Amino acid sequence: MTCIHVVTQENRALYEESLQQFHRLRHQIFVEERGWNDLRQSDGLEVDAYDNEHAIYLLAIDAGRVVGGQRLYPTLMPHMISEVFSGLAPRGIPQAADIFEWTRYFVVKERRTGRTDCRLLAAMQEFCLEEGISEVTAVVEMWWLPRWQQAGFKVRPLGLPQMIEGQPCIAAAIEISQASLEYVRKLAGLRGASLIREGLSSPHAQQVPHVAA
Amino acid sequence: MSRQSFDYATEAFEFIGRLDRLPGVDDVIDEMARSFTLFGFENFIITGLPGLRERFDQVVLLKKWPLGWFEIYVKEDFVRVDPVIRLCRNTVQPFEWSEAPFDREKEPRSAEVMDRATDFRMKDGFCLPIHGINGYEACFSMSGVDLDLSSRTKPALHLMAMYAFERARQILKPLPHRGADLLTPRERETLMWAAAGKSAAVTGEILGITERTVTAHIVSACQKLDATNKTQAVARAMQYKLIRV
Repeated sequence: MTCIHVVTQENRALYEESLQQFHRLRHQIFVEERGWNDLRQSDGLEVDAYDNEHAIYLLAIDAGRVVGGQRLYPTLMPHMISEVFSGLAPRGIPQAADIFEWTRYFVVKERRTGRTDCRLLAAMQEFCLEEGISEVTAVVEMWWLPRWQQAGFKVRPLGLPQMIEGQPCIAAAIEISQASLEYVRKLAGLRGASLIREGLSSPHAQQVPHVAA
Repeated sequence: MSRQSFDYATEAFEFIGRLDRLPGVDDVIDEMARSFTLFGFENFIITGLPGLRERFDQVVLLKKWPLGWFEIYVKEDFVRVDPVIRLCRNTVQPFEWSEAPFDREKEPRSAEVMDRATDFRMKDGFCLPIHGINGYEACFSMSGVDLDLSSRTKPALHLMAMYAFERARQILKPLPHRGADLLTPRERETLMWAAAGKSAAVTGEILGITERTVTAHIVSACQKLDATNKTQAVARAMQYKLIRV
């Protein structure tokens, strides 16, 4: 049974092995499969500047094996949209204590039949609702947009799509809501809460320092 | 028309904002007609793909097409030979109609559909594949004679098309129901051909994919349906009304 685990600075010691798998999968998927060559590392582990003490990971783990993942990062800190992709957001970069950036989303190849995606999408909404996060921002390839919408997400474009590495990509803000959470759960036939917070005092986001950007 | 003077980005965002307030599919069609005209488009259609025994007109989500052309297209079953449709199901990227390949010598029916479309002012076009959680979902195709189609206008059209599709989908299918999305379109398709007595190899030829891929879709369908083999998977899919044959 696949569960989604919340991993932060506070409990990461419990998840060293899973995080290792997570970074290796990120390399396999983003560098080797999707060709984001700037991220290539000789050790086969994809780690970037935002994998620091502020990052929150939601990992899909099935019997000890990581099958999907995603990362949340406070937008009051310098983050990817503000530092790297600001050109994608001419309508303004959302930055607030209750807005997080959503990055490095993936599902391993053999689980791309819909259900693991729905689990991860539901977990993102569920975690944000519990933490008082009202919106997440993200950069994605355009073909993802109808998938999010099909999952019941309310998506606001921050600019027009632009070509990145040969793919039309867009920066967008996604509203966090109980309605979206219930919609995606219903779509995949998921029942009730699925987040596991092992070794965490909750909620978490209140402990994130509100550093001015 | 002074095309240079209009701001594609502003038009796209305003269009997206207006969509949310439209109550019916006809309102969405009117709004699309108004906005897409600014780019030179006269016709558009959003459609799923018909299964083995489905007719094209059963899977069209919405359209603004010349009536005469729609009748011909359905009657001739052009959807099975249309090179635009064929490319649409095999790519995630938007493309111009002129980029959809076919062999004029070996595929005269494909040539026919493209030629006859021009009789209805559908000379050039832009096609946007739409992929859902389970893969291929729908095809959005728009056309006209004098299109403003460039690297500057395409991003705006792309975004507008995705939101127009979403609004139409919301209006037509307000709530998800469990089970309906259990099988992907490809899994349903391969099971329907299996039900029609076709081998994986023949099915692969029909769908333009490899035999191995066909088998992979069927294996995946078996797992989802908790079936031990293809025969049981077909029986279950019919029992649950996931496929029609």
